[in-house]
Amino acid sequence: MKNLLKRSGSSRVLLLLAVLWIAVILLFAALRPTMFSASTVTTVLQFSTILALVSLGQCLVILAGGAGIDLSVGGTVSLSVVLAMLAVKAGMPPALLPIGCVVCGLLLGFFNGLLVTRLKILPLIATLGTLFVYSGMALALTGGGAQSGVPTWLLPWGRGMILSMPMPFVTLVVPVFVIAAALLLYSAWGRWLFAMGFNERSARLVGIPVDRARLLVYGLSGLLAGLAGLVSLAWLGSARPNIGQNLELESLTAVMLGGVAISGGIGGVGGVIAAVILLVTLKTGLLQLNVNTVWQVGIVGALLIAVLLIERLSKRWS
Amino acid sequence: MRQSSPRLLAIGGREWALLGAVILASIVFSVASPYFATAGNATTIARNSTELMLAGLGMTLLLAMGSIDVSIGILMGLAAIAVAHAVLASVAPPLALLVGPVAGAALGLVTALVVVLGRVPAIVGTLGLLGVYRMGVFALLGGQWLSGLPAGLTQLLSSTLLGIPMSIFAIGLAYLAVWLALRRTPYGPHLLSIGNSEEKARLSGVPVTKVRIATFIISGALTGLAASFYVANYRNVEMAIGSTLALDAIAAVVLGGTSIMGGRCSLLGTALGVILLRILQNGLLLMGVPSLWQPVVTGALLIVVLALELPVSGMGELKARWMQR
Repeated sequence: MKNLLKRSGSSRVLLLLAVLWIAVILLFAALRPTMFSASTVTTVLQFSTILALVSLGQCLVILAGGAGIDLSVGGTVSLSVVLAMLAVKAGMPPALLPIGCVVCGLLLGFFNGLLVTRLKILPLIATLGTLFVYSGMALALTGGGAQSGVPTWLLPWGRGMILSMPMPFVTLVVPVFVIAAALLLYSAWGRWLFAMGFNERSARLVGIPVDRARLLVYGLSGLLAGLAGLVSLAWLGSARPNIGQNLELESLTAVMLGGVAISGGIGGVGGVIAAVILLVTLKTGLLQLNVNTVWQVGIVGALLIAVLLIERLSKRWS
Repeated sequence: MRQSSPRLLAIGGREWALLGAVILASIVFSVASPYFATAGNATTIARNSTELMLAGLGMTLLLAMGSIDVSIGILMGLAAIAVAHAVLASVAPPLALLVGPVAGAALGLVTALVVVLGRVPAIVGTLGLLGVYRMGVFALLGGQWLSGLPAGLTQLLSSTLLGIPMSIFAIGLAYLAVWLALRRTPYGPHLLSIGNSEEKARLSGVPVTKVRIATFIISGALTGLAASFYVANYRNVEMAIGSTLALDAIAAVVLGGTSIMGGRCSLLGTALGVILLRILQNGLLLMGVPSLWQPVVTGALLIVVLALELPVSGMGELKARWMQR
């Protein structure tokens, strides 16, 4: 696992993130010493789960190049949660709720993929459009209210612990990231993604089915958003139509912070999970200091710009 | 296929189609709702179109240059707060009117510093700024509404000049100024050549950096002017201000025939796109569709229009270039 993480992102990025993370922890330790406890670790991991899954999808989309970006991730999370819950209310057996939520995400992701690969719409505009369509539908279908009625057998998974680690993190995030890292590093499909992102024209010339691979990547991003939605259902016990708010900004920040090049072809999932934990630590610390969530959005936005500026400047001077 | 000559106010197929769509939509909604074809409703549509007309003009220039700004809604919010404070401080209305464009231009300069000088891709950079600006709006408003503003600016902007309402006058003036800049100065050819190919533009001696910075500032100033009209029209500023302005502007501009890949723009198309979009939103509301569905309709419209347009050849390279902006 360690080996995988090391090879899946450049070690320099991971080192930098570790230093930043320690700096953030020291800062909060100075401001509020009571923050140091096992429960804080649990909280951070619990809050990381949704962002980690969504950021993984975002990472794959960006890695695959072709100006790939998925601005609709937050809308996908909200809409899959809402659709699955409304389906249960309309008579679908509750046992199918998890599958329903994930399938909704997958379909919404495939829709993005079709817009990008078949209709050749610029990804950022296509997914900007679907962001508003998905998140708007989630709000309009529910009138903005949270939908209760999540079956109780789902809650122990969403709220449970293994060795004081949140269950969704251990049973979902860790395996999913290990699988993604293994696929990217050791499978032909993973090599294709890097090749497509690095130079699309050569990838096409050597016979990589670029459009099919890209369609799948957008589908996977949707699937991961659906899984994130499932975690939110099991954790919160209700379907919130605004659960995906700001996830496009946060996932992009995590992916950029994790050392993935915005033009694709460079990066890995190890940096992304490290960046997610760094971001969530920062947010949790701010929450404990009673900083309003709007400030958190601003800080995440500023961080995104700072990362990109540093990336460009270091490229110019190195 | 990609025209590099400015198609600015020339009436082409797209503009006629939009005009037809506006007329068709008006007829359909007049039949569907007895409230649509009334003078009061026409005023409502016109008033709701004011900010989008101005912000859309700026967005037209940005998209024609092959760039984008998703933060304009909240940029308008920040400029509106500046205008509101000027109004509250009893600044003379003509000066208060100017506060909007000045604040907007300053914020546009900030965007330009990040996107152009920092060489951050426009979509990611402006998304980051969106978060920062939202924090700014919250910090300045402190979670409350600025409401019950004095009516001085409202009186100025609802007055008529030579029998024409002030807002139409200002919009006409803004479109005329941009049209002249595009048509009669080197700015127009420069802008469109950057949209076609930044490298080629640079090689042929276009001052690329200057033109790009200027365009972000112009877009900011136009959005700031929109903020002045917003404050005059609604006499309040609230937290959610401008939350769908960027989407609406992009949809209207794309509807109007400006290419999202850059290199082609139509000012008349943008104006007609704004009118069509606002008529659709207004008509659906009158037919009993809840306003929560508005972003869904706008987003779907954007996707449908783009899906109907023929894919541009050489898309791969163009796309790769997009992320470098």
